[in-house]
Amino acid sequence: MHLIPIPYLDPGSGSLILQVLIATLLGIGLAVRASWKRIKGYFGRKKSTQEEEDADQQRN
Amino acid sequence: MQTSNGIDRLPASFRDPAGFLFLKNGVLYRQINRAYHQQYTRLLDSGLYRELVGAGLLVRHEESDQPPLEAEVAFKVIRPDRVPFVSYPYEWSFGQLKDAALVTLAIQKQAMKFGMILKDASAYNFQFSQGKPVLIDTLSFDLYEEGKPWDAYRQFCQHFLAPLALMAYRDVRLGQLSRVYLDGIPLDLTAELLPLLTRGNLGLLTHIHIHAAAQKRYAGKPVKRALRITSTALKGLVENLEKVISDLTWQPLGTEWGDYYDCTNYSDHSLENKKALVRKWTDNVRPDLVFDLGANTGMFSRESATSGALIISMDLDPAAVEQNYQAVKRKKEFNILPLLLDLTNPTPQLGWNLSERDSFHHRGPADLTLALALVHHLAISNNIPLPYFAEFLAGQCRWLIVEFVPKTDSQVQKLLASRKDIFSSYSQEGFESAFAGFFETIQAERPGDSDRTLYFMKRR
Repeated sequence: MHLIPIPYLDPGSGSLILQVLIATLLGIGLAVRASWKRIKGYFGRKKSTQEEEDADQQRN
Repeated sequence: MQTSNGIDRLPASFRDPAGFLFLKNGVLYRQINRAYHQQYTRLLDSGLYRELVGAGLLVRHEESDQPPLEAEVAFKVIRPDRVPFVSYPYEWSFGQLKDAALVTLAIQKQAMKFGMILKDASAYNFQFSQGKPVLIDTLSFDLYEEGKPWDAYRQFCQHFLAPLALMAYRDVRLGQLSRVYLDGIPLDLTAELLPLLTRGNLGLLTHIHIHAAAQKRYAGKPVKRALRITSTALKGLVENLEKVISDLTWQPLGTEWGDYYDCTNYSDHSLENKKALVRKWTDNVRPDLVFDLGANTGMFSRESATSGALIISMDLDPAAVEQNYQAVKRKKEFNILPLLLDLTNPTPQLGWNLSERDSFHHRGPADLTLALALVHHLAISNNIPLPYFAEFLAGQCRWLIVEFVPKTDSQVQKLLASRKDIFSSYSQEGFESAFAGFFETIQAERPGDSDRTLYFMKRR
């Protein structure tokens, strides 16, 4: 087995790789949540426009 | 580093190529080097500086016409506001370290909105001012380039997440590991010490356990291609760390001194007298800086604080310091700084050349020191001879309020119950003669119905 002496073992690479992995997953999570909000917002708006139209019709 | 013309280069900032601190005629300056020109200009021009200083998150500074110390590399000299008293993460309670962690992340989020990023996440870049952690290193910011990972992620995990997780999930005393590992607690050690159940906590599983495993797996292997993360991903990471830190809690229950004030040897009336004496004698001294040694949760610090002085309220019990800090936050007592300190082994000089972090002794002396209900703990529990105690206090202050607790006191009886009484010189006369070598007694009073005596003394 080839051993590398401890003073030469920099933990930086692992930290960097892990950070990119976690951040990417979290980033996807954020993006999905944001688009879900947009979708909900879109249907929410549509629904409320529909309700307004119904109300208008009732008034007429 | 002392130079011949009364200028001191401070040894806490020598690692940073962006600039360094120096003292001239007692005034603190920071030289900013040309290498940091762009970053400093962005910090100021983008409005980030104004935003952070306005929110009390970053230390305020003024640009100065003081000549730089190393003119050939200098860009500017600034004069930062000085923090009233320097303290270190291994002297903070759980809540203090947690607040510093959350301020780091708040600054990082704010910086990203202004096209900047924290280039380091060292707990030593924070000091307590006005009761809150404040970033004191104006040169902590770098220009943010879209796609670039956060260089300080590992440092944040080592300096903040690791000690907080160990304190919350294993034992609060493990916070002291920060004193051994000045660049943060190694994550493999943290992972080993944390209980197995922390693997069920998604945040700790990823940022500590898998992080440590990844460090081991890729140790010594260079990352061949440039790794990128989007700004959304980086924001996700910072918000996730914020949540993981916020969820870590520690409650000071079942503590050494938890209910101490309920079992002191003073009646309500005598306690009020003792408080009044502390207030009166503090007012006589009109101090700027007061050390309260063995402050417990800070009852008498609060009496001394009515003078407007800054009170450093120290105890060796992490629970007492935590309760004290939470009270400071709740009541907005900005002139009380609770710190963790063991008088039998006070903070030494630490770091490179033993000069990066100051010892407790270097940060004194105070104008006034309170040593109330302390003498029996040192003399009887720790075998510190009374003259040694007096000499120690003489090095810490110009004025002293000290309490003598005689052997007949039930608290002393409790300490003697479990040890042989070898303390023949522990008496009021022995106490007075030990202190007479270092202090002149101005006044001595018994605050009431107990046989304890309070002394107001002046150093000889």
